[in-house]
Amino acid sequence: MAKTDTKAHAIERYGLSDEQLLQMLRNMLMQRQLDNRGFQLNRQGKVPFALGSEGHEALQAGAAMAFHRGKDLLAPYYRDLGLALGIGLTPFEIMLSIFARADDHNGGRQFPNHYSSKAAGLLSFSSILAAHIPHAVGAAYAIQYRGEHGRAVLATCGDGTTSEGEWHESMNFAAIHRLPLVMLVENNEWAISTPLHKQMAQPEIWKRAAGYGMPGRRCNGFDPIETYGAVSAALERARSGGGPTLLEGMCYRFLAHSTDDNDMTYRTKEEVAEHRKMDPVPRFEAALTELGVIDAAGIDAMKKDVLRETNEATDKAEALPYPAPSDLYTHLYEGAWQPWQ
Amino acid sequence: MAAAPGELPNPVPKSTSPGRRPSPTSAKTAAATAFQRHGLTDEQLVALLRTMLTHRTLESRGFQLNRQGKIPFASAGEGHEAVQAGAAMAFERGTDILVPYYRDLGLDIGIGLTPYEILLSLFGRAADHSGGRQFPHHYASRKLGIYSISSIIAAQLPHAVGAAYAIKYRGERRAVLTTFGDGCTSEGEWHESLNFAAIHQLPVVFLCENNEWAISTPLARQMAQPDVYKRAEGYGIPGVAVNGFDPVACYAAVKEALDRARAGGGPALIEAKCYRFLAHTTDDDDRAYRTREEVEARRKDDPVPGFERVLIEQGILSEEAAEQLKQSVLAEANDATDRAEAMPYPAAHDLYTHVYAGGCEPWR
Repeated sequence: MAKTDTKAHAIERYGLSDEQLLQMLRNMLMQRQLDNRGFQLNRQGKVPFALGSEGHEALQAGAAMAFHRGKDLLAPYYRDLGLALGIGLTPFEIMLSIFARADDHNGGRQFPNHYSSKAAGLLSFSSILAAHIPHAVGAAYAIQYRGEHGRAVLATCGDGTTSEGEWHESMNFAAIHRLPLVMLVENNEWAISTPLHKQMAQPEIWKRAAGYGMPGRRCNGFDPIETYGAVSAALERARSGGGPTLLEGMCYRFLAHSTDDNDMTYRTKEEVAEHRKMDPVPRFEAALTELGVIDAAGIDAMKKDVLRETNEATDKAEALPYPAPSDLYTHLYEGAWQPWQ
Repeated sequence: MAAAPGELPNPVPKSTSPGRRPSPTSAKTAAATAFQRHGLTDEQLVALLRTMLTHRTLESRGFQLNRQGKIPFASAGEGHEAVQAGAAMAFERGTDILVPYYRDLGLDIGIGLTPYEILLSLFGRAADHSGGRQFPHHYASRKLGIYSISSIIAAQLPHAVGAAYAIKYRGERRAVLTTFGDGCTSEGEWHESLNFAAIHQLPVVFLCENNEWAISTPLARQMAQPDVYKRAEGYGIPGVAVNGFDPVACYAAVKEALDRARAGGGPALIEAKCYRFLAHTTDDDDRAYRTREEVEARRKDDPVPGFERVLIEQGILSEEAAEQLKQSVLAEANDATDRAEAMPYPAAHDLYTHVYAGGCEPWR
């Protein structure tokens, strides 16, 4: 685990304004609140499933800040709540997905936590590991083919995905054609129950970049500013025709894989507690306090506001209807054709 | 660019794998072109040349027979003679397992397949190990430990890794040698196989015969940086590049890796840099995608006359003996051709043999 020296990096702000730093903190607080809410609603029997991204907050808030809304495309994976929020999705939209309501962008038909938004440039994706990486590369190829300078694709995945053939094929193809792609691996050390050392023989994913002939870099994913700096530089390089980059953000998965998983069958409480000491959310609160960007009262007010917004989003989404059974075949066939009726 | 044996046509840097000693064969300086036999006896060196000459002669025969309308298809390994003869010399017969690809005639001969068996495969005759049912050049021999392979690029690698996993699981002191071309390295199965082998420290040696062409795709369009061996570091295994036109250097690199694998030291990735002198197969016209000048320039480094010259210069073989060797190889190829051609095709009523258990023929 890379050291988390947030204070030292906060001095190098990579040009981020106070407002942007506060936006990142709010994103992180919102992620944690919504993650919690998903698990609560599941245990209450109100939603069938939720995924937790606790431990990924800093990485995702930093990466989202580097994303150019209206220009870039995001090809995320299923643990990217903070990225989705950071590029413009609202807590209400998140709740619609978790509750699988008819008003969800996917009409309540997608897996929970599989957001998509045409307006935000967020590609709809499959749960199959690495299935979305060729899509991201295809989108980057289209950008290059059309000569759309100033655009890039940000694709994310976990450490487990790097073992998939599609990941390799995508990296190689992107490198050959110098496509505007940033491959951000959110290395949280666990692929469901498979620990990193059973996922790869050497633990530094960024080192694979040299084999593909592209730059590789590792950043501290518990530090949102450092992550912003790394993703921002890579995206800028991609947007200006410099080709793809492989980034590895080091983080940790604090919760079980999902509400359907019990992580105590494969790792110890002590391991999790040890990593909790580096929890990026309180650390970033402390860093911004140190910088004088916010004070304790301000943080408290922000937390209350985040909780209020989460509660409102929950109530609003829960009150909405499920998709109507008569809509079952909508969007499946052209026109209103329903072959089984 | 007349590279002497032992010298690379292009400078190749040493492996950068951490904590591993770079193989002495991974790079040579221009000054260090002195012949190194890496412990091989005169007999073994001559055997290497014989494998290379047989390889070349049988490749030629395949193309001739195809142009005569006698066989449907042949693929070509001209330019791969040195790497395959060298690798085969490092293979322990009766112990190791070979999972080759479709351009490995020299490897198959080197580990014990006879020219007659090769010709049976090319002619698609009933007496072929695969009963005349496999694609030409897809040899298989249970006795020699050669796996039957698919033509699908990279499909053989998970099989090779599975065999290595079985060896480790059973606690046997054996290793698997698997081979592929540069194009294969872009396949997902390639990546998954290397990663899995590395995690479990399996006894498998991945030998890339980098001939710079994947049918019509040149290396520059296959990968953004041209050194396949550099990918080894990302998997946490040793990676080494070797001059694929030098059979002794290839022998040494493959031997070191196979010895380490058998001893429990895990997998390795070896990249032998060679060149494909002929078209991809008899069904391909390479003039459509590369120039004669490129091929002619590379022919100057042809490993077959090159190694013959080395053995004569080193006094290991006389000019007369080299001539006799060639005559003997040609006579054997002619004899194998005539004998195989005289054999029958599989009988039509054998169509379903080996397809269903117990002789069931569902369409009768």
